[in-house]
Amino acid sequence: MTTLSLPSSAPLLRPRNRYVAGLLTWRGVTGLVLVGVVALAGLLAPWLTDADPDAQGAQALAGPSGAHPLGTDDIGRDLLSRILHGILTDLSIILTAVPAGALIGAALALLAATSRAADLVVQRLFDLVLSFPGLILGLAVTAILGPGRWPVVIIIALAEVPYFGRQLRAGVLVQREREYALAARVGGAGRARVLLRHVLPNAVDPLIVQGAVALSVGVFIEGALSFLGLGVRPPQPTLGSLISGSVAYLDTDPLLAAAPLAVTTALVLGFTLLAEALNRGARS
Amino acid sequence: MRTFLFKRLPSGLAVLVAASFTVFLMLRLIPGDPATTLAGPDASPATVAAIRERLGLDAPLLSQYLHWLGQVLTGDLGPSYAIGGQVSELIGDGLAATFQLTLAALLLVVVLAVPTALYAASGRRRPLAGALRALTTGALAVPPFVTGVLLVLVFAVGLGLLPAGGHASLFDAPDLAVQYLALPALCLALPSAAILARYLQDGLERALGEDYVRNATALGVSRRRILWRHALPNALPSAVTVLGLQIGQLIAGAVVVERIFAWPGLGQLIEQGVSRRDYPVVQDLLLLVVAGYVAVQLLTDLLYSWLDPRVRWE
Repeated sequence: MTTLSLPSSAPLLRPRNRYVAGLLTWRGVTGLVLVGVVALAGLLAPWLTDADPDAQGAQALAGPSGAHPLGTDDIGRDLLSRILHGILTDLSIILTAVPAGALIGAALALLAATSRAADLVVQRLFDLVLSFPGLILGLAVTAILGPGRWPVVIIIALAEVPYFGRQLRAGVLVQREREYALAARVGGAGRARVLLRHVLPNAVDPLIVQGAVALSVGVFIEGALSFLGLGVRPPQPTLGSLISGSVAYLDTDPLLAAAPLAVTTALVLGFTLLAEALNRGARS
Repeated sequence: MRTFLFKRLPSGLAVLVAASFTVFLMLRLIPGDPATTLAGPDASPATVAAIRERLGLDAPLLSQYLHWLGQVLTGDLGPSYAIGGQVSELIGDGLAATFQLTLAALLLVVVLAVPTALYAASGRRRPLAGALRALTTGALAVPPFVTGVLLVLVFAVGLGLLPAGGHASLFDAPDLAVQYLALPALCLALPSAAILARYLQDGLERALGEDYVRNATALGVSRRRILWRHALPNALPSAVTVLGLQIGQLIAGAVVVERIFAWPGLGQLIEQGVSRRDYPVVQDLLLLVVAGYVAVQLLTDLLYSWLDPRVRWE
């Protein structure tokens, strides 16, 4: 009689499991819940409220009532509806910009892996972007493109390119000296095949954590640009523009600020907790 | 010092030249040049051409670039396009206010972060260490504009302790100036203080795990002395590097913080320049920020080699 025993843990799956294990800690679960609730509220915005976020009503700065659960803003628009649609705007911006930044950064990192000269050029390119601290490069971009939704997307993507790129480059440099990569080369695989089929899948893991960080940075950048009047054009609501619009009424209508502040804090805190949970999971 | 003079200084200058070229080229790649914008939609081609000639926009790109570098080096930046006045004067007006704000924030960063890190690293079961950890996570997770508005809500609207925004001269009314400075400086300082506290705490804990600390403990040196005389000097150099990088973030972060607190600094100027497409103002300010950032990093390197003799001897 033969018994067939499977290895208790398939080694290939272990890295993925570590991230799942990281997500199942209190940090991960809290992060998932925070991001999940805020994101769902945004995605379900058309069903959760009937009010048009841009429709101006007669009652400006009204308190909470049956028709307007959170009251209205300075020109009589329904605050709840604006917040829900603001979440939607922010989500659509960061979910376009972050993958774009990750893809461009990854492509540059792969390009850097092809030759020493390419590596030098790509590294200097990353250094150049990073030599502009914080939002400064973003300001240059808005100076050229003017304010609007796409400039915000471009600025977030551009800011994230060097971070994704450097991380992947570091991963590729380590992985391609590993024995399996050498074995693949000995087995006759070409440089491109070794890089794309063997090294790349093993080097992308750290980008997951970077992705969670980048999503929260995206909310930072969108809000900062809105505060400067250089973000998404009004009347389209964003989390940043709702907060910046509330500043003038802080002493009379604190709810106007408190509601979007709470939502924004929940969202960025959620992303941060997710990043920490994934990071701890990866290192455990 | 030799490594510094022959390697770090040239590479810093190279970054500066590359950044200046990038800024210059970016602002020239715009569809429709500033002359068309300035002349307005109904201007005749002759008017546009005249404006272009007056601004020197008809010259070849390279000579425009060199002309600009010459202006930067002599400090005479020429007239602004849209805001009005000389760019040098506009920058000079805002520079003092921004400098005050970033310097106050920098002081706060050190004052908040160093004791926090020392406290958290000084014992394993510090009751407040967990709360401090949560605070630093919060300070890092929440964007500055959220902290800024929260600070105003709590300290200006709720408690009525401090003004919500504005500015007073440090020389005419020092007490008022400090009141105006408190909230924006705190708002600007918090994220950087959290980062510095974390790095310093990690550095201290790493140093406390080293063999020389065990040796010193075995020789009967007190915990306090080990922390201050053995762990801190070894953790300081990397913390200084982090602080240097954070100064860049303070300068950049000031743009948004100045807006929240109506602080009349360079942030307001750069914002006006961008929204009114005043290219000389934007161009010069961007270069100024990058130059400040590069200079701070070079200084950090110098300080690092002074704090860490191992680097000096290499």
